[in-house]
Amino acid sequence: MDRHVIAPLDIGQTAPDFELPDNSQTARRLSDLRGVAVVIAFHPREWDPARAEQVELYKSAAASVDGMAQIALVALSNDDPTAAAYGVTNLSAVFGVDQSGIVRWRHTSLGGAAGSRDPRSWSRREFVTAVLGAAFALAFCPTLDDGVAHAAPRSRAAGVGEARPVRLNINGHDTTLHLEPRVTLLDALREYAGLTGTKKGCDHGQCGACTVHVDGKRVLSCLTFAVMQQGKPIVSIEGLAASAGASGDALHPVQQAFIKHDGFQCGYCTPGQIMSASAMLNEPWGVSDDDVREAMSGNICRCGAYPGIVAAIQEARRGQTQ
Amino acid sequence: MISFDYVAADDLDAAARAGTASTARFVAGGTTLIDLMKLDVERPTLLIDLNSLTRRDPSMSTITDLPGGGLRLGALARMGDVAWDERVRRAFPFVSQSLLLAASGQLRNVATIGGNVLQRTRCPYFRDTAAPCNKREPGSGCSALHGFNRTHAILGTSSSCIATHPSDLAVALVALDATVRVRGARKNERTIPFTAFHVLPGSQPSRETILQHGEVITAIDLPPLGFAKRSVYLKVRDRASYAFALASAAVALDIDGGRIREARVALGGVGTKPWRSTEAERVLRGRAPNDATYRAAAEAALAGARPQKDNAFKISLAKRTLVRALTEVAA
Repeated sequence: MDRHVIAPLDIGQTAPDFELPDNSQTARRLSDLRGVAVVIAFHPREWDPARAEQVELYKSAAASVDGMAQIALVALSNDDPTAAAYGVTNLSAVFGVDQSGIVRWRHTSLGGAAGSRDPRSWSRREFVTAVLGAAFALAFCPTLDDGVAHAAPRSRAAGVGEARPVRLNINGHDTTLHLEPRVTLLDALREYAGLTGTKKGCDHGQCGACTVHVDGKRVLSCLTFAVMQQGKPIVSIEGLAASAGASGDALHPVQQAFIKHDGFQCGYCTPGQIMSASAMLNEPWGVSDDDVREAMSGNICRCGAYPGIVAAIQEARRGQTQ
Repeated sequence: MISFDYVAADDLDAAARAGTASTARFVAGGTTLIDLMKLDVERPTLLIDLNSLTRRDPSMSTITDLPGGGLRLGALARMGDVAWDERVRRAFPFVSQSLLLAASGQLRNVATIGGNVLQRTRCPYFRDTAAPCNKREPGSGCSALHGFNRTHAILGTSSSCIATHPSDLAVALVALDATVRVRGARKNERTIPFTAFHVLPGSQPSRETILQHGEVITAIDLPPLGFAKRSVYLKVRDRASYAFALASAAVALDIDGGRIREARVALGGVGTKPWRSTEAERVLRGRAPNDATYRAAAEAALAGARPQKDNAFKISLAKRTLVRALTEVAA
């Protein structure tokens, strides 16, 4: 399994100095920017979401909010010594550095599944969200001492109900999230690990939209706490194809079949349907359409795409037994 | 959800000791508890995770053979694992069926046997902290008595509570005379007949079982019962799947020489606890297995039923459910 050790710079540490890229105003080094809050984004070289248009998008968004306009954005490649100094070589990452040069916020990519998606990859959405999040944190929470994602274990023991390091294996990667015990696995995936493919529908175990695999079995991520899932392999829709041995951008056979048979309309229940179906095919159900409907009854589709869903699952089953 | 502390138990006795704290709760599958915590119906300040007990004692989550053909279901065995187990399906079909007709595939992979029999009612007023409910808040009154009570109980009700017990598995277990194995905080162990495990609401509906706070269910024993091979769990609900029972029946018949030698009958979806009907069993015993016998048994089973404003239909529904289950099992 592709183990990916994430050791980014801790919150509270001094941001290592570096030479600013040419496009960064008049200052030449980070240390020249003391007194100014800075958002530093690391991204793969030649990576689309970090290109100029995203930087422009950030600037226009920041300019529209009081208090954010002065926060500088520095975009850097993740393959040079500066990235190494920040502990994010080959990762996508965003750091919020305050006026005195201390890291106050950070967010790093967890990436996709081992062997399939490049772990460096970061969606456009995540990039913009992370950068704006960092800027907001710097502008409005100047004393914030805690990151949203990937905060390191704190030395003192966690008190009642306080956040603590929770070590999870998600899509083949070991990662440590800083979570309160009351954070569900669903919220850990979506809000802390940045994996928004898993959907929150009812949040009460009645709709199936949040289905993921734990230990190879389909479970509802809304009805379990992340802290209870340490030490078990967790697979979300982002890592499904790779978990079945697909490489590159290849889809899981169930994903492929959902496309072919139009197994969705709005798509909101689809990740849960696909996660449920892909695990259900390994359970000892019969092979009739009625068996599929019964086995899939925990996944509700308000659009009513059921005929396509059943057809897709049956096709995936036939492919599996060939 | 309020903030709480979390510990993963690695020792049964330590877990039981910690569990005696009034605001501590054990968590296994968590599918009921976490749901109720999100609703603020449950507000524990300490969660004791029992799942880690299997590291020291793997039998907590497995199914083991008992002498004479019985089976011991570890309390941490998952509903799905028990439902699909070949021994359970062969010797106790209604146990397997009750599990497969309950919840969804995802929930069955997580929810445990011990937790299943302790699950709380689906009464909407119990789940709504804005509504008075004697079960949730003793003395506050019962909103269901004069509210919308279509899904509520018709057997075992009181003026304090008419909530149904939601478990399907428990209906099969009460018919089977299963036994609950329990360990307490002082390392004391005891076994509880399943028929005595759940209690009627009476004037104290907040108390649902005879478990003491801090006692941990370690296993549920299915006793050898030869004719349980001929058993059925039939569940009737508002939709074909993934819904709680409006009425259900767990039945087993021992038919010999055109006579019913022995019978087990229990009803679900209609009682404030898993409802064993010894009245129906008495009617069945010694009679020919035919429609008239089944109808007489159904009349006996529902003789004490007391309908509410919206659920009188459950009396005839439960009777028909029982007749059909008996017909199927005898076929």
